[in-house]
Amino acid sequence: MEHKKIKNDRERTFMLITIPVVLLFFCFNTLPLLKGVFYSFTNFKGYGSYDIVGLRNYIDLFSDARVGNSYLFTLKYAVVCTIIVNVISLILALGLNSKIKGKTVLRGIYFIPNILGGLVVGYIFSFFFTYILPAVGQTLGIEAISSSMLSSTKTAWFAIVLVGAWQSIAMNTIIYISGLQTVPEDVYEAGSLDGATGWKKFKNLTFPLIIPFFTINLVLCMKNFLMVFDQIMALTKGGPSQSTESISFLIYNNGIDGGQFGFQSANAVVFFIVIVAVSVCQMRFMGKKEEQL
Amino acid sequence: MMKKEKHEGKVNIPVTILLILGCLTIFFPLYMAVIIAFKQPSEMTNDIMGALAFPKTWSLDNFAEAMRVTDFWNSLGNSLLLTVATVAVSIALHGIAGYAIGRSMAKSKVYNFIYLYIVSGMFVPFAILMMPLVKQTAQLGIANRFGVVVLYVVFYMPMNLLLYAGYLKNIPLALEEAARVDGASTWKTYWSIIFPVMKPMHATVAVLTAMSTWNDVMTPLVIMSGTGKNTLPLAQLNFQTQFGTNYNLAFASYLLALLPILLFYLICQKQIINGVVNGAVK
Amino acid sequence: MTSKTKVTGIAAAALVFAAAGLTGCGSEDDGVVTIKMLQYKPEAVDAFQELETRFNESHEDIRLEIDSPNDAMKILKTQLVREDYPDIIAIGGDINYSNFLDAELLMDISDFEGLSDVKEAYLKMDKELEYVPMDGVYALPYMANAAGVLYNRDIFEEHGWTIPTTWDEFISLCGQIESEGIQPLYFGYKDVWTCLAPWNAMAVDLAPSDVCYQVNAGNTTFSENYREVAQKQKQLLDYAQDDPFAYSYNDACTAFARGESAMYVIGSYAVPQIQSVNPDINIDSFVFPASNNPEDNILNSGNDLQFSIMNRCENKEAAYEVLRFFMEDENIQYYIDDQNAVPCKKGDFELAPMLDSMKPYIEEGKLADYQDHHYPAEMSVDAMIQTYLMDDSEDALDTFMERFDKQWVRYNRDIIRKVQEYTEEHSGNE
Repeated sequence: MEHKKIKNDRERTFMLITIPVVLLFFCFNTLPLLKGVFYSFTNFKGYGSYDIVGLRNYIDLFSDARVGNSYLFTLKYAVVCTIIVNVISLILALGLNSKIKGKTVLRGIYFIPNILGGLVVGYIFSFFFTYILPAVGQTLGIEAISSSMLSSTKTAWFAIVLVGAWQSIAMNTIIYISGLQTVPEDVYEAGSLDGATGWKKFKNLTFPLIIPFFTINLVLCMKNFLMVFDQIMALTKGGPSQSTESISFLIYNNGIDGGQFGFQSANAVVFFIVIVAVSVCQMRFMGKKEEQL
Repeated sequence: MMKKEKHEGKVNIPVTILLILGCLTIFFPLYMAVIIAFKQPSEMTNDIMGALAFPKTWSLDNFAEAMRVTDFWNSLGNSLLLTVATVAVSIALHGIAGYAIGRSMAKSKVYNFIYLYIVSGMFVPFAILMMPLVKQTAQLGIANRFGVVVLYVVFYMPMNLLLYAGYLKNIPLALEEAARVDGASTWKTYWSIIFPVMKPMHATVAVLTAMSTWNDVMTPLVIMSGTGKNTLPLAQLNFQTQFGTNYNLAFASYLLALLPILLFYLICQKQIINGVVNGAVK
Repeated sequence: MTSKTKVTGIAAAALVFAAAGLTGCGSEDDGVVTIKMLQYKPEAVDAFQELETRFNESHEDIRLEIDSPNDAMKILKTQLVREDYPDIIAIGGDINYSNFLDAELLMDISDFEGLSDVKEAYLKMDKELEYVPMDGVYALPYMANAAGVLYNRDIFEEHGWTIPTTWDEFISLCGQIESEGIQPLYFGYKDVWTCLAPWNAMAVDLAPSDVCYQVNAGNTTFSENYREVAQKQKQLLDYAQDDPFAYSYNDACTAFARGESAMYVIGSYAVPQIQSVNPDINIDSFVFPASNNPEDNILNSGNDLQFSIMNRCENKEAAYEVLRFFMEDENIQYYIDDQNAVPCKKGDFELAPMLDSMKPYIEEGKLADYQDHHYPAEMSVDAMIQTYLMDDSEDALDTFMERFDKQWVRYNRDIIRKVQEYTEEHSGNE
C-alpha cells in the first residue's frame, strides 16, 4: 500500500513535469513546423491575402535553377568542409595528444576560433580576402590570389570554406583528443611489439578505436555546415552571381524580403527532409562500419 | 624501467614547433583585427608591410566611437540578459524534464515516444520555423527578449534532453530510493539528490547553451527586429552601413563584440573545453 | 533551511528574474496621439531625426516617432508578418509599394490637400506602379533622386573635357580619359544592387517606360527591349577598374571621392557617402547618354521617398498633420540640403550644385522612373545582371536575355494573371 502511494506520487510528478514541457515544445517547434508546411502550399507573401496553390511551389522548386544551385553549393560546401575539417582536426589532435611542451596552452589556443561568433569572424575575413590577400598576391606575383577571392565565382565558395573550417576545426580537434585519450596505452605497446609505426600504427590501431568519435564529428559537421548562414551573410551575401547562396540564406533572403514566403516554406520543408535523410544515412553507414570492426 | 620511459618519453620537439607555428593561423587574423582597430583611416595602405605594421599611436578613440555608434553597453546588456536567462531556464527546466522523461523511458512506451519526439526536433532547421514563429510570437505579444528566451529554451531542448537523459543512465536508482523510503516526494528528491549529482552535466549544458545563445544572430534578428533592442552580433549587422568605409571603426567594433567571450574563455577555459567534450561524447 | 529548498529557491528566482527582466515593454497613454513612422533610408537618419525634433517641438498633441532601422525593408516586412504596423511608412516608389498596395495595406489619401502641390510626373509614376489601375491615391511623393553619371568637376575642368550627349561621345570620352592615364569609371559591383545603377540609367533612354506592364499584358518581351542596354553595360567594363566585382558600393564611393576615377555611374543618393570621405570634392552629374539621338536621352529619376498611411492607422487626421509638416517648404529645403535630393513638390527650391547639369531635365520634366522599380525583389535582376557581366562566353547576351524572359514569367505569374484578367474584363465591358 505504502509502496504504491510512493509510486503514484512519482508517476504523477513525472507527468506534471512532462506535460507542460511537451506542450511548450509543441507550441514553439511542432506547431510552427506544421504552419510552415501549410504555408508551403500557398502563395503567401508574408502579409496580405493568399491563395492555396496546391503543389505548385514544390513543382517550381524542382525546376528552379536558383534553388537547385543553392542545394549544389550547400552540399559542395558541406562535403568539402567536412573533409577538410576532419582531416586537419585529426592531424592536430594527434599532434596535441603526443608528448609536447605546453600541451594545455596549445590546446587552449587552438580552441579559440570556436567560441567566436561566425558573423564577426566573417567580417574580419572579408576584409582579409578583399585587401590583405590580394596585396600579398601582387607583391609575391602569385596570380591566383592577386585579386579578391570573393569576387570570382571560382574561388568565392572556397573562401567561405576556409572561414567555416577555421572556426570548426577547434571543436572537432577537441573531440578527437578526447577520443585519443580513450585509447589505452597497452594497445600501442602491443602494436609496437608487432613493429607497427607511423601511418600503419594509426590506420590499424588508433583509428579503429576512435571511430565513434569520427562518427560524431561527421554528423555534427555535416549538420552544421548544411545550415551555414552567418558566414555567407558576412562574406558574400550570396554573390558573386548568386554562386554562394546557401539554402538557409536563400530561405531567409527571399522568404522575408522577396515576398516568397510560401515558396521558401516549401524549400524549407524539402531542406528539412534532406537534413534528416543525410543524418540518418550517415549514422546508419557509420553504425555498420563500427559493427564490422 | 622500460615502462617508465614509455610514460614520460621524450618531448617531441618537431611536433611542438609545428604546433606553435600552426597557432599563427589562429593569431594572424586576430592580430590583423587588433592593429586595424587601432589605426586611423589615413594609415591604411595597400602594401603588405604597411598593412602589417603597428599603428602610429595606440589610441582608444576608435573604440570609444564604435561603442557610441553601436550602443555597446545596451547590446552587451541584452546579450548577457538573454544568455543568462536562457542558461538558467535551460538548466532548471531541461534538467527536470530529462529526469522525468529519462527515468520513465525504460518502462513506458509513451515516455519513450515523447523522448524521441523531442530529440528529433534537433533536425528541424530554423529556416522552416522562422516565419511562423515571427507571426506566433507577435500574436502572443512576446516578440521581445522574453520571447527570444522562450524560443531558445525550446530550440536547445532536444540536445539538452538528450544530454541529461543520457547522463541519468549512469546514476543508479538506488540513490533516489533511499530518499524515497524516507518519505521525500519525488519533487524534493530531484532537487536535493539528483540535481546536485548532475552537476557535471549542468556545466556542459551551460557551456553549450551559452555559446550558442551568445553567438546566435538569426533568432534575435527576426524576432526582435525593429524593437530597437540589439544583441552584440546583431549590432554588428545593423550598423554595417553606418561604418561606411571606415574599416578601422568597424574593426574596433568587431573586437568589442569578441572581447567579452574571449575574456570569459580565458577565465573558464578548462570548464568550457570539458563541457564541450562531455556534450559531444555523451 | 535545507539545501534542497535552497536549490529550489535559486531555480525559482532564476525563472522569476528571467520573466521579470524581459517583459518590460509597453507604452503609456497620456492623451497624446502617437504617430509611428518607419522610414527606409539609412543615409537620411540624421535628417529625419532633426525633422522629428522640429515636429515634436511645434506639436503638443501629437508625438511623432520615427524609426530608421538598417535594412528597413526586411524589418518592415517582418513587422507586417507580425501585424505590428507603423502609422506611416516612408519608402521608395518601387515594387514594394506595388505589393503593399496589392495587399490592401495602404490608405486612400486622395482627400489630402497637399497632393495638388506635387508634380504630375511623380504622381504618374506611382500610378504606373499599380499592378492593375486602381481608384484613389495611396502615396504622397516627397523626394526624388536622379541617377546618371557623377563626375569630378575639377578633373574635367583641368583636362578640358566636356559633357557627352550621345553614346558615341561618351565612349570616346572614356577612351580619352583612359589615354591620359586616369581611370574613367569605377564600379562597386560586389554589392549586386549597384549593377542596376547603369542599367536603369540606360534603360530609360533605350526602352519604353511601361515595358514591364506591356510584357505582363503579353504584348512584348524583354529580349526585344533590353538587348542594347545589356550590351552597352558590358561595354562599360572596358573602362572600369580591374576586377570591379571585388569592390563594394562603399569602396567605389571612397575611390571616386579620392579622385581615383573621373566618373562614377550611380545615383545622386551616393553623394552624401562620397562627401563623408572627401567633403571638398567638387561633383556634378549628367544624364546618361545611352542613345545616339540626344533627344532620346532622358533623366532617370524616381520617387526615392514617399509617404503612405497604413490602412490600420487610427488617427488619420494626425497622420495628415505629419504629412503637412513634411510638405512645408522650409522642411523640404532642409531635407534637400542634407540629402541632395530633388523635391517632388512644385515650387522654387534651391537644388544641390551636383545636380547642375541635370537641372534642365528636372525643370522640363524630361524624366522617367527606374525600371527596376517594377522588378520583383525575389527575381534578383541585379544578380542576373552581375552574372551576365561576369560571363565571358560568346552567347552570354542570349543566355541573359532568355533567362530574363523566362524568370520574369515565373516570378510574376500571379501578377500576369491579374493583369490579363483585368484586360479581359475591361475589353469585355467596352
